[in-house]
Amino acid sequence: MTGIGPVEPGEDTRAHDAGRPGRHTPRLRAGSRARRTATAATAALAVTAAGGYLYATRPQPRPAPPPPYPSQVVDLVYLTPVAPAGTAPAGGFRFTVALVVRSGPPVTVTRVSQPNAGLSVTSSPAAPFRTKPHSTRKITVTLRATECGKAPRNAGFPFLDVTLRNTRAIQTHSFILGRRYARDLSRALRDACGQGNP
Amino acid sequence: MRQRSLIAITAALAAGALTLTACGSRDDDGGSDSGNGGGTTVVIGVDAPMTGDLSALGLGIKNSVDLAVKTANKEKYVEGVTFEIEALDDQGQPSVGQQNASKFVADKDVLGVVGPLNSSVGESMQKVFDSAGLVEVSPANTGPSLTQGPDWRTKKVRPYKSYFRTATTDAIQGPFAAQYVYNDANKKKVFVIDDKKTYGAGLAATFTEEFKKLGGTVVGTEHINPDTKDFSSVATKVKNSGADVVYYGGEYPQAGPLSKQIKEAGAKIPLVGGDGIKDDTFIKLAGTGSDGDLATSVGAPVEELDSAKKFVADYKAAGYKEGYAAYGGYSYDSGWAIIEAVKKVVEDNDGKLPDDARAKVTAAMQNVSFDGVTGKVSFDEFGDATNKQLTVYAVENGAFTAVKSGTYTG
Repeated sequence: MTGIGPVEPGEDTRAHDAGRPGRHTPRLRAGSRARRTATAATAALAVTAAGGYLYATRPQPRPAPPPPYPSQVVDLVYLTPVAPAGTAPAGGFRFTVALVVRSGPPVTVTRVSQPNAGLSVTSSPAAPFRTKPHSTRKITVTLRATECGKAPRNAGFPFLDVTLRNTRAIQTHSFILGRRYARDLSRALRDACGQGNP
Repeated sequence: MRQRSLIAITAALAAGALTLTACGSRDDDGGSDSGNGGGTTVVIGVDAPMTGDLSALGLGIKNSVDLAVKTANKEKYVEGVTFEIEALDDQGQPSVGQQNASKFVADKDVLGVVGPLNSSVGESMQKVFDSAGLVEVSPANTGPSLTQGPDWRTKKVRPYKSYFRTATTDAIQGPFAAQYVYNDANKKKVFVIDDKKTYGAGLAATFTEEFKKLGGTVVGTEHINPDTKDFSSVATKVKNSGADVVYYGGEYPQAGPLSKQIKEAGAKIPLVGGDGIKDDTFIKLAGTGSDGDLATSVGAPVEELDSAKKFVADYKAAGYKEGYAAYGGYSYDSGWAIIEAVKKVVEDNDGKLPDDARAKVTAAMQNVSFDGVTGKVSFDEFGDATNKQLTVYAVENGAFTAVKSGTYTG
């Protein structure tokens, strides 16, 4: 009752204060417009705020998982020696392997190597070459004895090192091709280096 | 009335927002972790050394199986079945392991056992489990004879149908190390030491065989007593041998002091070992001179496996006091393999466990296949893991760092 009143008085407040309604009518009309405007603005603000809040807190789709590391989706399996009649290189061993890309993005072989100092290696197709997921590529690998004194003539678990690249990483991974490969390699190297070859 | 309308609109919007927020929260929280999946309780036994020198590895095994069980219960992975673990400490002793095996067999709720750590302990348990038809999945045994028989070099014969493992074998690990040491690290003269135990002696033997085949020279061999930590006489022999590398078949409690004393004797050459030394405790025991030492271990490095990263995060979130250590992922997968086998048996029996559940679970294990922490988990005709990956780690600046990984695809 001080005449200051609440900033947004309730309807009853004005009614009790109204000593001369006739004179106050225009002011009441003006106040009513102001209230309508304020109400609409507040509602709009609330809707906007609530909408913004809902938008900001909406469930986010999970980010797609990164593709797997190439070594985790590639198999390299020893197949067979290439028939020696006229095809095996002098002082060497030629064989085929199957490169299998099980899943993920395409994988590029950027290098085929092996760690022994007495051998060199080439492949066909020559690196780099790309293999699609869910597919198998047959590769012919040729090992040559460059220094028979260092060549492993009886290795049980020789490696073939393959550098693999996909959209996730570049990795050099060793593939241990198993006892059959070891046996065939040893036989070929004994043949190549057995007669005093360098 | 307009104010009341405004209040009502605002309240409705607020309530709606809160409701939607609450929906989002449920997605994040997931279900209750009390994990009561139903009326039947299946116990998975865990056997590992939980006291003594090897407890870091053993407790990592126990906790990791516990995590697998909690995950299965939380997801209600096997309808109507709640899993529990029962963990027994074998202290790294074969005789204690055998007693533990008998205890598990006597508990009819136990339908599978994860463990043990040591191959020698595994040997003592196999027959007990096999006689009872109780399946055993080791996350860490690497001795080849456990799955391929004593004559595994010439004729592989599976001795026990109830034994499986998720780790690969020393038949591959030893030669893998030899190839790396000879070809990549360019070391040609090795001094070989082992602890005379099934694991250590076996691993040293497979390493030596391959190293010699490659053209390397064994300039000395010694056996140590694992009950002592004074290796000064062996260290002196290493120094005088002219070796450019030491291979040790054994575990980190001895490997750490051995490495330290070899360097202190004046032989500044790397010590190389297998998965038994690949624990941070080795580096602590060996001291700063261990930089350059090498260890092979089963599996691919954690950072290459997204599934392993999730395991690491879940393990951390579970709040275990001890680390998951070298075999955590393999232990989780071993536990999960048993859970998968139980699931198959239950589903094939109209949602209930059959009376001959142990025999059925053992039979189901042979065909278990799933994407685990360590990659694809399945077993070959010997009970060995089909996933045969190995990694060479080097000690660099006081920590193990992966330097080369390989996969056996033969």
